[in-house]
Amino acid sequence: MAQVSTNEFRAGIKVEVEGQPYTIVSNEFVKPGKGQPFNRVKLKHLMTGRVIERTFKSGDRLELSDVVETKVRLLYTDQDGASFMDDNTFDQLHVSFDIIGDQKQWLLEEVSYTLIFYKGAPVEVIPPTFMEMNITETAPGVRGDTSGRVLKPATTESGAKVPVPIFVEEGDRIKVDTRTGEYVSRV
Amino acid sequence: MLACVRQFFTKRGVLEVDTPLLSKTAPIDTHIEVMAVHFADGQTGYLHTSPEYAIKRLLTVCPIDLYQLSHVFREGEVGPLHNPEFTMIEWYRMGFSLKKLLHETVELIQLFLENVECQEITYRDLFLTYVGIDPFATSAEELHKKAKTLKLEGSPDWDVDTWLYFFMSFFIEPKMEGLIAVHSFPSTQAALSRVRKEGPYAVADRFEIFYSGIELANGFHELTDSEEQRCRFEETKAKREKLNKPLLPIDEKFLQALKIGLPDCCGVAAGFDRLLMLKEKAGSIKDVLPLSWTDL
Repeated sequence: MAQVSTNEFRAGIKVEVEGQPYTIVSNEFVKPGKGQPFNRVKLKHLMTGRVIERTFKSGDRLELSDVVETKVRLLYTDQDGASFMDDNTFDQLHVSFDIIGDQKQWLLEEVSYTLIFYKGAPVEVIPPTFMEMNITETAPGVRGDTSGRVLKPATTESGAKVPVPIFVEEGDRIKVDTRTGEYVSRV
Repeated sequence: MLACVRQFFTKRGVLEVDTPLLSKTAPIDTHIEVMAVHFADGQTGYLHTSPEYAIKRLLTVCPIDLYQLSHVFREGEVGPLHNPEFTMIEWYRMGFSLKKLLHETVELIQLFLENVECQEITYRDLFLTYVGIDPFATSAEELHKKAKTLKLEGSPDWDVDTWLYFFMSFFIEPKMEGLIAVHSFPSTQAALSRVRKEGPYAVADRFEIFYSGIELANGFHELTDSEEQRCRFEETKAKREKLNKPLLPIDEKFLQALKIGLPDCCGVAAGFDRLLMLKEKAGSIKDVLPLSWTDL
C-alpha cells in the first residue's frame, strides 16, 4: 500500500499502526523553535473503536490501510446477520451481527448504508447520519406539554430506543441522528 | 503593541533595522524548513526564517545595538501556536552578558504580561527536577525506558536529542507554570551559540523563556568564530542530508563577514504573536493574527 507522511495526516485518513487499521481523529503539530518537530496523533481503531495516542517525528510515514468503502442497500435481516446488495455491482453479501454490533438498531430494509471493508472483509456498517423511521411503541402523550423539552422512552420499527418528546405518538414518523441516537424532529 | 515594542527599544538606544526578508541564501537549521521563491528567470530566492544572518553582517561593519521587528517564514508550521508567517522581535546587544540579555528579555515580556516574575533554571536542573535524568549523561535506551515508566509514547529508533526534545515538549512544558527561563543547553542544541566547558560537559550558552510551557524567546551568546561557524553549517547540512531534507546553499558572505569580526554580543528572538496571544488570553495564534494562513 501507499504511505502518508505526518504532514498529510488529516482526520478520516485510515492508516496501519502496529499491523492494525486506525482512523486518524486529530493531528497536533508540536515544535520547539529550534528543535525536533513532532506530530501527536489521535487514532481510533477501525473495528474496536479504541482511541490511542501516538507521537511521531514530523515527516515520519505510515502505511495507508487497505480500507474500501462501498454503498450498500439492506435486503433483509435473519437470525445471524443482515444481507446487503452492493449499489454498483448488485452483488449480495451477508454480514454477521457480530460485525454490525450496535448499528443493528438502525437496520431498515431498502435504506442505503456504507459498508467498510478492511483487507477485503467487511468490518463496519455505517448508517446514514439522519434516518426517518416509525414509532412502534411509546406511552400515550400527556396533553399540555408541547415544549418538546420533556422526553419519554420510545421504540422505533428498527428496534432502536429513542427518547422522544411527550407529543410524539405511536405510528408517528420521526427523524433520528444515528450518531447520538437522539430525536431530531417529527416528519 | 508594535508601537510599545518600538518604544521599548528606542528608550534603550537600540536602533531599528529592516533587513531583506528575501535572500539569495538560506538560514540552515536541522529542524527549520525554509520557503524557496522561484523567479521567472530561473533564480531561486529564500524567505528568511529569522533576520539573524543579515543583522550579524551589519554588526561586523557597524557594531551597535540593533533590533528588527520582522515577519519571518517557516514552512509546514501550522498549529494553535504556529503560523507559517509570523512576527519576530529580534535584537542584539554589544558586550552584554547572556544574563543581562535574559533580564532585558523578561522586561520586554513584561510589556505583555504584567507583574510576572521569572524563575531561572539550567537545562540540566530542569531535567533532573522533572524527569529525574541528567540530560548530559544519558542514553537513548535510558530515556526510552523512562518514557515507558511514565507511560509516554515514543519510538525505540530515536536518538538522545530527539528524546530530549520529546520530554521537553510532552512532559516538561505541560508542567511548567509561570515564566521560566531555561539556560545552559546541551551542545548538540547549540545552534549559533557559544559552547563552553562546564566540568566534563560542553554547555551551549543560550536560554529559552517559557510562559506556562509556551516557548516565547530564544537567546544566544553569539558564536563569533567563523571556522567554528562553518563546521556547524557543515554538520547541520550533513544532518539534513541524512533526513532527506532539501539541501540549502551555505551563506558564504555571512561567513566572510564573521571572518572580519563579529563583536562579542548576545542576541535574542521573541515571538511577537505568542506574546500577544498570552496578553489577550487567546487560545490560538489565529485569534491574534490579522489573517492567519487558514484565513487566506
